[in-house]
Amino acid sequence: MGGEQPEETAASLPAEVSEEETAGGEPRGKPWLAALLAWLLPGAGHVYLGRWLRGAVFCALVLSLVFAGASLDGRLWRPEGNPLASGSAALAALLSLLSAGLGSPYLALLASGYRGQVASFGYEYGTAFLLTAALMNLLLVFDALDVSRGRKP
Amino acid sequence: MSHFVLMVLYCGAVSLFFALLWRHEPRARLRLFLQIFLGMVLGALLVAYLMYPVPSGPPVAMP
Repeated sequence: MGGEQPEETAASLPAEVSEEETAGGEPRGKPWLAALLAWLLPGAGHVYLGRWLRGAVFCALVLSLVFAGASLDGRLWRPEGNPLASGSAALAALLSLLSAGLGSPYLALLASGYRGQVASFGYEYGTAFLLTAALMNLLLVFDALDVSRGRKP
Repeated sequence: MSHFVLMVLYCGAVSLFFALLWRHEPRARLRLFLQIFLGMVLGALLVAYLMYPVPSGPPVAMP
């Protein structure tokens, strides 16, 4: 009676979450500068924080979506009129705010007078591509903030 | 380009973005990429088939 209990080592425990997923990193750079750069140019915040490869891949990915969206004649939402005038005006203002999250590509498209063509074959897809690119860039801003504050590796 | 190709490209871009953003190990990235990508593409096809009986109106000439 009273057989030996197997020794439980750390290696035998199930590793449901890897160490890399939970561990943060050291704070680096200035968070406000990382966020500003990330907003201005997709991936620039990560490049500033020393994440060159991730920054380059994110930049290529977001700019490809913007290029595809503009090539498909998707709608570029821009503020028009009083946002409190009607429900559609409020929605347009909200989507314009989201689109502005794209940073310099949004400003460049605005400056070029780009609007999109509602009669175009790819109008809906193009609009989805442009809005998704803007949402991605906003997420990159928050990710750059987290990396800068040491919450993420 | 067809609607399907555009949809697949969109799903691929979104899947790649979140796999790179949320995972840091290559195997975990690949797994999340496949989960999101297949979920989006197969989900869209499923919804398309479910909508098949719904009349879509007369065909419109493409420009």
